[in-house]
Parts: sequence; C-alpha cells; structure tokens
Amino acid sequence: MTARLAVWRTPKLYIGGQFVRSESGQTVAVATAEGILHACRGSRKDLRDATEHARAAQPKWAARAALNRGQILYRLGEMLEGRGAGEAADRAVHHAGWADKVTALLSTLNPVSATYVNYTMIRPVGVIAAVVDPATGMLGMVEALAAATVMGNSVLLLVAAESVDDATTLAECIATSDWPAGVVQIVTGTLSELVGHVNGLDDIDTLLRVGTPLDAEVALAAEQAGARTIRRLVDLPNPSIPATPEQLGRLAEAKTVWMSAYEPQGGAASY
Amino acid sequence: MTPPHELRLSGALDLAPAPERTPVHIPPRLGHFIDGAFVDGSDTFDTINPATGDVLAKVCAAGAEEVDAAVRAADRAFREVWGPMDGAARGKVLYRIARRMQERSRELAVLESMDNGKPIRESRDVDVPLAANHFFYYAGWADKLSYAVPGRTVRPLGVAAQVIPWNFPLLMMAWKLAPALAMGNTVVIKPAETTPLTARLLCEVFQEVGLPPGVVNVVNGAGATGGHLVGHPIPRKVAFTGSTGVGKRILASTAGSGKKVTLELGGKGANIVFADAALDQAVEGTINGIFFNQGHVCCAGSRLLLEESVAADFLGRLQRRMSTLRVGDPLDKNTDVGAINSERQLKVIQHYVDVGRNEGATVWQGSATALPKRGLFHLPTLLLDVDSTCTVAREEIFGPVLSVLTFRTPDEAIKKANDTEYGLSCGVWTEKTSKLFEVSHALNCGVVWANGYNLFDPASPFGGVRHSGFGREGGLAGLAPYLEVT
Repeated sequence: MTARLAVWRTPKLYIGGQFVRSESGQTVAVATAEGILHACRGSRKDLRDATEHARAAQPKWAARAALNRGQILYRLGEMLEGRGAGEAADRAVHHAGWADKVTALLSTLNPVSATYVNYTMIRPVGVIAAVVDPATGMLGMVEALAAATVMGNSVLLLVAAESVDDATTLAECIATSDWPAGVVQIVTGTLSELVGHVNGLDDIDTLLRVGTPLDAEVALAAEQAGARTIRRLVDLPNPSIPATPEQLGRLAEAKTVWMSAYEPQGGAASY
Repeated sequence: MTPPHELRLSGALDLAPAPERTPVHIPPRLGHFIDGAFVDGSDTFDTINPATGDVLAKVCAAGAEEVDAAVRAADRAFREVWGPMDGAARGKVLYRIARRMQERSRELAVLESMDNGKPIRESRDVDVPLAANHFFYYAGWADKLSYAVPGRTVRPLGVAAQVIPWNFPLLMMAWKLAPALAMGNTVVIKPAETTPLTARLLCEVFQEVGLPPGVVNVVNGAGATGGHLVGHPIPRKVAFTGSTGVGKRILASTAGSGKKVTLELGGKGANIVFADAALDQAVEGTINGIFFNQGHVCCAGSRLLLEESVAADFLGRLQRRMSTLRVGDPLDKNTDVGAINSERQLKVIQHYVDVGRNEGATVWQGSATALPKRGLFHLPTLLLDVDSTCTVAREEIFGPVLSVLTFRTPDEAIKKANDTEYGLSCGVWTEKTSKLFEVSHALNCGVVWANGYNLFDPASPFGGVRHSGFGREGGLAGLAPYLEVT
C-alpha cells in the first residue's frame, strides 16, 4: 500500500478578495522543511492593482459600524484558531475589542471660547502599506493587519517570501471571515523590492514598519521617497506587545469639527 | 437679485483716516537671540513695510555657526534648567509670558501690522490675543503631563527646531513655542525673513519674565538658515509651517535622522454654501474665509462651492458685501484688507488671476476704496465660472482671490470639496442639522467649520491631512508632537 501523498497548496497573492498569481509570472524559491516553495514575486503592477482595490474598499470599510468591524476581526481570530495559530488568534481578538472603544479614548470635546460645540474625532489615514519583518512571523502579520484595519484603514501587507506559508494561511483565514474584498491585500516577494515598488506609488498614505523589516539603506530610501507624497511613517518595533491606543492613534488622523450650536455667527467670532 | 433701492456703496464710504498711533520701537538692526541675549550678526537684508515700501530694519541672516551656537544653547538649557524644572514652575513662566503679551499687546499688534501688512483690526483683535491665549492654555498643561497619555510615561524630546511663515508671524510663533515649552522642550526658532519684528519683541518679553537663557533662541534668516537649523544633528524635533514644496524638502532631508517631524502645509479649502443656509451669515463667513489676512491663510476658504439654485442670489449679496471692503493702510482702524506681504507674493497672486482668466474664468473685483498709490495691494477678487479642473481650483493662491464653483446635490458638493491633493480645512453652511453633520463628517480634511470659517482657539486642534501635512497644534492633540511616549 502506497503512503498517502499530501495535496500541496499553491502559494498566491491575495488582492481584491481574490487569490491571484503575480502578473510578473515570476516566483521566489524558498526552502522549507517540506521542500521548496515558490512564492509569487509581487511586481509593481501587482502593487498598483492592490492599491486600487484598497483605495476603493477603504471608505466603505470605515463607514461600517465599529461593532461590525470588531466582529469581523473576531471572526479572523476564530479562523486562525482553527489553523493552530493561537497566538495570532489572540491578537486578532484583542484588537477586535478596540474597534468600538478606541475612538472614545482618542477623541476630545474641546472647550472653545465661541458658540460652537468643538470636537476632535479620529479618522483613518486611508491606505496603509505594512512591511512585516519575517522574524515576527504570523503574529507580526496579524498585528499589522489588525492595527491598520481596526482604525478603518485598508492595508497592503508586504510579506517576505520566506513567510509565504503563513501568508497563505492568513489569506485563507481572511477569505473566510467576512472581510469585504479589498480591505486586506497580501503580496509576497523580496521586501526591499516590494518597498521599492511602493515608493513609486502616489496613493499610499502611510508606511507601517512592523519589527525591523528593512536594512538601513532601504529604510532610508523609503523615508526619502515618502516625502514626495507626504507619506506618514509609523513603526511598531515590537509586535509581541499589541499596539497601544496611542500607537493605534498614529494610524489615524485627528479631525476637528466646529459645529454651530446657536445662531450662526458669520465670520465674526468672539476672539 | 439686486434690491430695487440699492445703496451705491462704492465711493460712498469716505471715512476720515483713523490711524493707530501707539508708538513702537524698532531697532535699526536685528541680529539673533541666543542664550538669553541679543547678538549681532552679518549678511544683512531689509525687512520692509509692505504698505509703504519703507525699510523698517536691517536683519542679519544666521549662518551655520550662529545656528550651531543657538542649538547648543538650547541643548544646554534643556539638560540643565528647563528639562529638570518642576512642571508647575515651567507653567508659571509661561503664564507670565501670556500676561506680559497681553500687557504689551498693542505694541505687538502695531509691529505685526507694519511688518506683515495685515489690518490692525486683525492683529489687535485676533493674532495677538490668540497668541497670548495659546501660552495661557499650554501653561496649564505644564504640570499635568502625566495625565496626557493615560497609562504611559511621557518625556520631553529635547531641542525642537521650528520654522514658521510670514502670514501669522507672532501667532505661529506662539503655536510652536507654547506646547514645546510647556512639555519641557527647548527651542530654536526661525521666523520668516520678511516678518522678524514681533519675534524680536517677544524675546524682550522672555527677558522681562525671567525665561531662563537658552530655552528659546531665535535665529533670523531665509531658507539657508532654515536648512542649517533643520539639518543640525542635535534637535530631536522639527516643526514646520509653510508651503507644501518646502515641507517635502524638509521631510526628505530629515529621513533616517529619527527626528520627529510635524508639517502644517498648504491648503485649498472648500467653503460649501447650501441653498438652505442663512445666506447673509454665509456671506460674512465667505468674506472672512478668503479676505481675512488678505487671503494669506493656509486654511483659507479659497474655493466657494455654491448650490446652483442660490448661486446668483448669493453672488449678488457677496459682491455687494465686497464693495464695502476697505483696502488700504494696515494701521488704519477702518481697514478690512491690508497689504500683500511681499512683491514676490503679489506677483504670484497676479499670475494666478491671469491663469484663471486664460482658463476661462470671469474676473470680478470689488472694494469700497481705490487701491493706495504706494505699497503692495491687491483688490478682493472673484474668479467666476471656475470648474474643478482649473488651475485656480487646484493650486493654492495665498491671496484675496476666491474661485467660485457650483453644485447641485450634497454628494456632488462633497466630491468636489474632496477633489484636491490638500486636506486642511473646509466650511459648510446650512440650517439643516442632519445635512450639516453628514457633510461635515464626510469632508476629507483636518478642520471643518460648520456655519463658520477661520475660527481658531488654543483648545481646538488644528492641522491637515494628505498634502496639507500631519501633526496637530492646539488642544490635547497638540501635546503629542512634543512628547516621547514610553
């Protein structure tokens, strides 16, 4: 009797809610315990497509009830648990709980000297490109994804080829936990190359670094390139600890509204 | 719809001059303020009164050595005096500054109007009181830092390098200094090269109230001086207010330095007027939105979005109101619109009006007075029949020029308002509450005025998104840029 042969997974990118191969047709070979895997080598065009999907999905994602976003993140935790990724599942559940609470911590009611109700609330920054240190494993990926999306952003996860197995598992969990297409993209390849591609895109609002994913030269080039589009830079250097509300706040913008409370005052305020 | 018995306002409002006469002292030569002392420098240039063209003073431009001396003084003051000082004591020094600014407010206002060109009515009633209030507000935070970020430990960063623009010289200085100092940082600040005078007087205030030497250092000069300051290795914080172009250069130059950067850059604010707005109040708000400070306001409401059904009516009211604006001597208490700060900026504004005309806009200008024969002035200007693709609807003009567009539905208004690379501010005018909230919350920008425009308060965070920069000034959110959180 022949021993059963395993059914191997084909690693793919996850873009716009679809499992797709890189349009480049190229792969990066990775040696694993089970043998060689060929991770898709994400190209500039893959990332441009991913950004378009992310941009289109973001406003609807942010407009969903915070409770609903929390439930979807919780559902991701359930799926991760089923794949034996307990630590990552715990992280998804942790951030799920922030969805309808972090706003209360980061918003203010500002006592201004005028007849207005003045409040500052938080708004997503928009589209986040998160580059994940492979040393941080599945936990680093889930931390990046959860921190970005719990604040109402959409995200491009840039994942090193060596993490392709975890990335595939994560994409499968995302695909089966009610995420609207386009909120999360997962693109594998060589991190320095992927970041180089992202530097050329105009529509990325924030570069999020999880762990220490880039060598000094690439990190410097990314920072310099980000100036072209006033791209924000946020670091989560130690994803073994969940992002604090203060850190989550860096993945959001403060928006202040002067809401008229009495008869309109025209332009003449009581300075 | 012109009322049948319209008063002919143009030329009918000749008023006797009402000049502000408070005497001010302007030293003939301005150096720098380093380690608590006024020091002379070299490489002088002139700062002029834009309303007359007269030279007000010679100003020295700081080179790398002077900037280095200022930064080292700040670093020493941070480590030895200001950083270790008890928060309550720091607060009391800031309260003294606020009080002394109030006491010397008229001097500050006159200097500001002479150097910048803004009407005395604004410098006296807006800039100076707000600047003093900013110190008063942040003074109160100095002994409460442990409550700023619940559950975390916060520390000052160290030396902050700050570069500010010429449109609100004193107010921007207060916005930059007050939160930095309250949290125990020390500062080297560079005022704009065309408006150094009120910074000089504020340094006198610092001496009077006993601010320890080195806590605030002022270096004068233009872009090169700013480059030395921003590029100096010691500062751990860079704060800049100014153009998006310079902001990008600063961001690129600080890459890899680990410096915490905040940028408050340009804008192309939309002021949206719905048919169900209180139209006369909206006219006032529109006037205030674009002609306040000659339109030299990063958050100016420089795009007027009118609901089509009231566009003609509203424009009639707006044009009548513009015909009452008095353009002229900034030191005259009746002046509504003062002088353009520099020849260069006046040329920029004139260039954009030409571009608007060439791209199909109709140019309409109005005022109650003829333009003065001397000095740098520009008539309040409407660019009519503009659409979203026009240059004058996309680029910041930074002058008294309002581009007028129309819309039919709230969705279209939101789309047009958000159709910009910038994201600093917007205004919304309607008496319908649900629409006011819906539109205010849908606008992609850092500040929204619902039935108002150009309102500022120290308790209210201000700042932009996208190409308008990042970081907030004012309120609790204004603490974060000057703190290290662990």
